[in-house]
Amino acid sequence: MNPANIASEKLGAESVFHRYEPLGPVYDEMFAADGRMRGHWQEFANLLDALGPQELSRRWEQARRLIHENGVTYNVHGDPQGRDRRWELDALPLLMDSREWSVLSAGLAQRARLLNAILLDLYGPQQLLREGLLPSELVFGHPGFLRVCHGWPVPSDRYLHLYAAHVARSPEGAWWVVADRTEAPVGAGYAVENRIVIARMIPHVFHHCRVQRLAGFFIALRDTLRDLAVRHRDDPQTVLLSPGRTSPTYFEDSYLARYLGYTLVEGEDLTVRDNRVFLKTLGGLINVDVVLRRVRQEDCDPLELGGTSRLGVPGLTHAARRGNVVLANALGSGLVESPALMAFLPALCRRLLAEPLQLPSVRTWWCGDAKSLAFVLGRLEHLVIRSALGDTASKSVHGASLSTSEKEALAARIRAAPAKFVAQELVVRASAPVWSEGALRGGHVALRTFSVASGDSYQVLPGALAHLSASSQALGESMFVGQGTKDVWVLADGPVAAVTLLQPPGTPLAPRRSGNDLPSRVADNLFWLGRHVERAEGSARLLRSIFTRLIGESAPGGSSELAILFRALTGGPPPPNDSPAGDSGASAMELRVLAFLYDEQHRGSLQSVLAALGRVATVVRDRISLDTWRILKRIDDDFHPGYPLGVISLADVLAMLNQMVLTLSAFSGVAMENMTRGPGWQFLDLGRRIERAMDMIWLLRTTLFIPAANEHAVLEALLEIADSSMTYRNRYATNLQLTPLLDLLMTDETNPRSIAFQLAALAEHVERLPGQQSDPLLSDEQRLVISVLSAVRLADIGALVETDGNGIRQQLDQFLKHSAAQLCDLASGISHKYLVHSGPAHQLAEIHRR
Amino acid sequence: MHCASSPIPELSEFPLAMRYRVVHSTTYSYSEPVSLCQNGIHLTPRKTSRQSCLAHRLTICPAPGKLEEYVDYFGNPVHFFTIPDAHQEMLVTAESDVSISSAAYIPPETTSLWEHVRDSTKTAQTVEALDARQFLFDSPHVEACAGLASFTAESFPAGRPWLEAVLDLTARINRTFVYDPTATNISTPLKTVLDMKRGVCQDFAHLQIGCLRALGLPARYVSGYLLTAPAAGQPRLQGANASHAWLSAYCPGLGWVEFDPTNNIVPSLDHVIVAWGRDYSDVCPIQGVFVGGGQHRMNVSVDVRPIETSGN
Repeated sequence: MNPANIASEKLGAESVFHRYEPLGPVYDEMFAADGRMRGHWQEFANLLDALGPQELSRRWEQARRLIHENGVTYNVHGDPQGRDRRWELDALPLLMDSREWSVLSAGLAQRARLLNAILLDLYGPQQLLREGLLPSELVFGHPGFLRVCHGWPVPSDRYLHLYAAHVARSPEGAWWVVADRTEAPVGAGYAVENRIVIARMIPHVFHHCRVQRLAGFFIALRDTLRDLAVRHRDDPQTVLLSPGRTSPTYFEDSYLARYLGYTLVEGEDLTVRDNRVFLKTLGGLINVDVVLRRVRQEDCDPLELGGTSRLGVPGLTHAARRGNVVLANALGSGLVESPALMAFLPALCRRLLAEPLQLPSVRTWWCGDAKSLAFVLGRLEHLVIRSALGDTASKSVHGASLSTSEKEALAARIRAAPAKFVAQELVVRASAPVWSEGALRGGHVALRTFSVASGDSYQVLPGALAHLSASSQALGESMFVGQGTKDVWVLADGPVAAVTLLQPPGTPLAPRRSGNDLPSRVADNLFWLGRHVERAEGSARLLRSIFTRLIGESAPGGSSELAILFRALTGGPPPPNDSPAGDSGASAMELRVLAFLYDEQHRGSLQSVLAALGRVATVVRDRISLDTWRILKRIDDDFHPGYPLGVISLADVLAMLNQMVLTLSAFSGVAMENMTRGPGWQFLDLGRRIERAMDMIWLLRTTLFIPAANEHAVLEALLEIADSSMTYRNRYATNLQLTPLLDLLMTDETNPRSIAFQLAALAEHVERLPGQQSDPLLSDEQRLVISVLSAVRLADIGALVETDGNGIRQQLDQFLKHSAAQLCDLASGISHKYLVHSGPAHQLAEIHRR
Repeated sequence: MHCASSPIPELSEFPLAMRYRVVHSTTYSYSEPVSLCQNGIHLTPRKTSRQSCLAHRLTICPAPGKLEEYVDYFGNPVHFFTIPDAHQEMLVTAESDVSISSAAYIPPETTSLWEHVRDSTKTAQTVEALDARQFLFDSPHVEACAGLASFTAESFPAGRPWLEAVLDLTARINRTFVYDPTATNISTPLKTVLDMKRGVCQDFAHLQIGCLRALGLPARYVSGYLLTAPAAGQPRLQGANASHAWLSAYCPGLGWVEFDPTNNIVPSLDHVIVAWGRDYSDVCPIQGVFVGGGQHRMNVSVDVRPIETSGN
C-alpha cells in the first residue's frame, strides 16, 4: 500500500499531503518506512490542511512577490554585469524533531571544536604531524596552509568563529557530514531570509508548531565578535568585509551586515597604517577592531598572501599578527576544508579532544595511503573521486557514471599523483515534500548547518538551509546548484521564548546623530545613485513627450518640435523624412527613438541608465530603506525588455513611461520625506541636484539654440518636460513667450525644476560638506558653486534670448555652456575631495636575476 | 657573460673563512606620485651554521613610518615598512657585514643511496625530517609538470649515491640550459623553462628544485649573493652584480647541502645566504604594494666586497 494512502486515512481525504509520495528507497523526512507520518509533522500537517491548498497557493504567491521585492538574489558566476538570479525557496519548511536535532547539534559543535583544535595545532606546535596522525601532504602540500599565519596566537585560541557543515542522511536516517566549510562560511543570512518569508506566509502555523528561533544564534555571533576586540571593548568597530557586488553572495553580505549592525565594507574601504586597520570615511580614518571576513584568505592581503586580488587590504596580515585587529574566521582556517582530512578525523578527535567522534563523515579514503589506494582502484565504480585538498577547480566524479576507458584514464591519473585524490562513498539524499504548482511532489534534501563560537564551545543554529535537488545522488555542496532551498523548522519541546537582536528595553543609549563615519565608497555610490535616478527621470520625461507627439502626429516625418526634441534626445538632427521605414512599418524616427529607449549598448539610452542605476542600487542596499529599495526594484519592473515594434505598440511605451515617471517621483518623495539628513542623504541629493541642473541646461541648449520655426510648440514641450506648465499658465495664462519661460526654468529659485533652484540647494550642501565649516576661507567647491549661482541670479534674460546676426542664440548658449562646465568642475572637485579612492594598488617585486 | 662556469674546485683552493661587506640597493622610480606604499623585505642575511651577520643596516628613503621586524616561518628575518607620504622615488639600501666559513667537502660516493634518502624522509619521525618534508611538495613557483621526472631520471639510476646524482643533475642543468635574461620573467612557469631550456638563476634553481621534488627528494630555494671575481687586470665593477639564487637539498645524516646550477658549483665561500624558503615567493627581496605611481622602473645594484680581517 502506498505509504501516503495510509497517512491519508489519518489526514482525511482533503489533506494537502494526500498525494505526496515519498521518493524511496531513501529516508523520507515526513513519512516512516511503514507509511506513518512522523510524529513531529502531525500538527503542521493538520494546520496546513485547515488552511487548504488554495489558500496556501494564494499566500505563496504573495510570499514569492516579497522575495522578489526584497531582491533576495544570488549571482551564480559572480557575473560582473550583475545578472542576479532570484533566490529559490520552497513554500513548505522541513520539520526537525527537537531530540534528533539536539543529537545532531552536539555532533556539529564537537566537530567545530575538533576542527578548531586541528588548526590550533597546525598553526602552532604541529604535534599531529610529528606523531604521524596526519600526513604532511595534507598540510605542507596544501595551498591553504598559510605559513605567514604560523606561530602567532589568535585571540582565545580561536580560528573558527563560524563553521558550516553540509550534512545528509543515510537511508536509515543517520546523519553524515559531506563537507566542512571553515573559511568564510556563507548561507546563514539566506536561512534568516527564508525564515522571515515562510513565517510571514503562515504565521499561525509557525506559532502553533513552536519553532525554535534563529535570532539567538546571531546574538551569540555578535557577542563572540564583540569579545574579540582588543581595543574599544565597550563599543568595538566591527566591519563585514565583502568581496563586493561580483560575489555570488553579495546579497547575503549586505543583508547580514544590516542584520548584525556592522558596516559593510570592501577591501578598498580599509587601509592599514602603523599596523592598524582603518575605515576610510568622509570624516577621516576610523580604527577597525574586528573584521567579519567574507573574502577568501588568499585574496585578503596582496602584501603577504600574494595574488593580485583587489579584494583585500595590504598589510592586513601583519596588523592581525600584531594583535591590532581580529579576523573572523582567522586567516588560514580554510586549511581544514580538505575532503582528505575526513579520513583522519576519528583518530584526531581521540587525540585532541579525548572523545570519540560523534558525527561521522562520509566514508573517505585518501589515496596517498598505499592500502587505501589499492582499495579505491579496486572499486572505482562505487565511489566518488574528488580532489584531496578540495581544489574547487576540479570536479567530483562518480565512478559509476564513467565508461570503462574513462575509468582507466581516471585510475591512471590517480596512480600518477595518488596523494592528490580522495574517494568517498556516495551519499544519498533524503526525500521531503515540496510544494509545486498547488500540489505536493517529492524532492531530495541535504542541509547546510551553521555553528558559531560561544564560550568554550559552539552554538548551532536551530535551523538550516535545506538544499533541494532532483536526484538523490547529487554531488555538489554549493548553495547555488540544484532546485532551490527550504526553511528548516527545528521544533521545541516547550514554549519558545521570543528573542531579538535589538537591545533589551531599558538599555541606556545616548542619543546620537548621523556622523561622518560614512565610508567614502558608500557616499560615492549614493552620489551616483542620485545622478542615475535623476538621469533616468530626465530621460523618461523627454521620451514621454516625444512618444506623445509620435502617437499624436498624423503625417510621417512629424511636427516641427519633434525634430527639436529629437535633437535634445540624441544631440543630432532627426533622420530625413524619406529614410526607409523598418520592416514593421515603423518610421525611421520611431526606430531611432526606440533605440534610445531599449538599446543597452546605446550610450545614454534609458535601458543603459537603468542598468547603471540597478548596479549602483545593489551596492547601496544596506544604506537605503526597504521601501526605497522596493521603489528602485519597481522602476526596473516597470521597464519592459525591448520588443520590436508591432509586439509592443507606441501606446504601450507611453503607458510604461507614464508609470515610470510616477515611480521615479515616489523615489524622490521617499528620499525627501524619509531619509535622515545625514551625509548619506547629502551625497544622494548632491548627485541629484547636479544631474538635474545639467539636464535642464542640456535641454535648454539643444532646443533653444536655433529658434524653431514654430517655437511656440517647442516652448510648450519644454514646460511639459519640466513639469511647469501649470505654474506658467497660472502666471501668464496662455501667452507663451521665451523670456518668462526662461525665468521659470532657469532663474526662478522657487521652481524645484529650475536651474537656480538646483544651484541654491547645491550651495547649501557644499557649505555643509565635512571639513568645510572649520575653515574660514572658501573652498574651491564653495567658490565654484557661488560663482555659478551668482551668474544665474544676475543673468539678464532679456539680453540672453536675443539672436545674433546668424539668427542663433549665441549668448544664451555660451552662458549655459559655461555654467555646465562649472558644474562639471564642481562634480569632479567633490569626487576628488571626498569620494574617489586613491585608485588600484599595484605590486612590485624584485627578482633574482643573476 | 654574467655567470662564471667552472668545474667543482678542490677544497684546498679555498681559505677557511671569508668576510664580506654586501651593499644591496634598490631604487623604484615612478612616473606619477605614489600616495601609499607598503613593503615586506628579505634583505637581512640570516644566521646559518656557516654564516653569521656581523653588522647590518637598512636605509630607506623617504623615511618609513614604522620599521617592523619579524622572523618568518622559515626562520628568515623580515622587515615591514610603510611609506605614508607621497613620493616618486623609493630607495632601499641594505648593508651587511657577513662572515662565512667554508663548507666541508663530502665525498659524493660515500652518501646514502638516493632511494634511501627518499624513503627515510617520508617516514622518519625526527624534527629534522619533519622540517625537510616542508620542501617536498608543490609551491607557487614550483609546480610539478610532465617531463620533470623523466629529465631528472637520467641522473638518478637505481642505487646511485645521493650526492653523486644531485651533482650530476646540477651539471646537466648547467650544460643543457642557456643563461638568458630576456627569456623569462617572474611568472614564467617551470614547464616553459624546461621546454625552452633558457632562463636566469631563479629559473634554474626552481627547475632543479622541481626535479628533486618530482623524485620525492626535499629541496629548498636559497636567495643571496655571489662574489664574482673581476677578470684579470680589470677593476672590480661596482653594482655589476645582482642578487642570486640557488638551492639546497636534504639528505638524512648530512643535513642540507647547497647546489648552484647556474654556475655548476657547490657553494662554499663565495655565496652569501640571505634567506631560504620553498621557492622565490617565500623569500622575495622586496615585495610591495603601492597606490598610484603610473609607470614604474626598478633599478637594483649589488656589491659584494671582501673585507680584510686580522684573523686571516
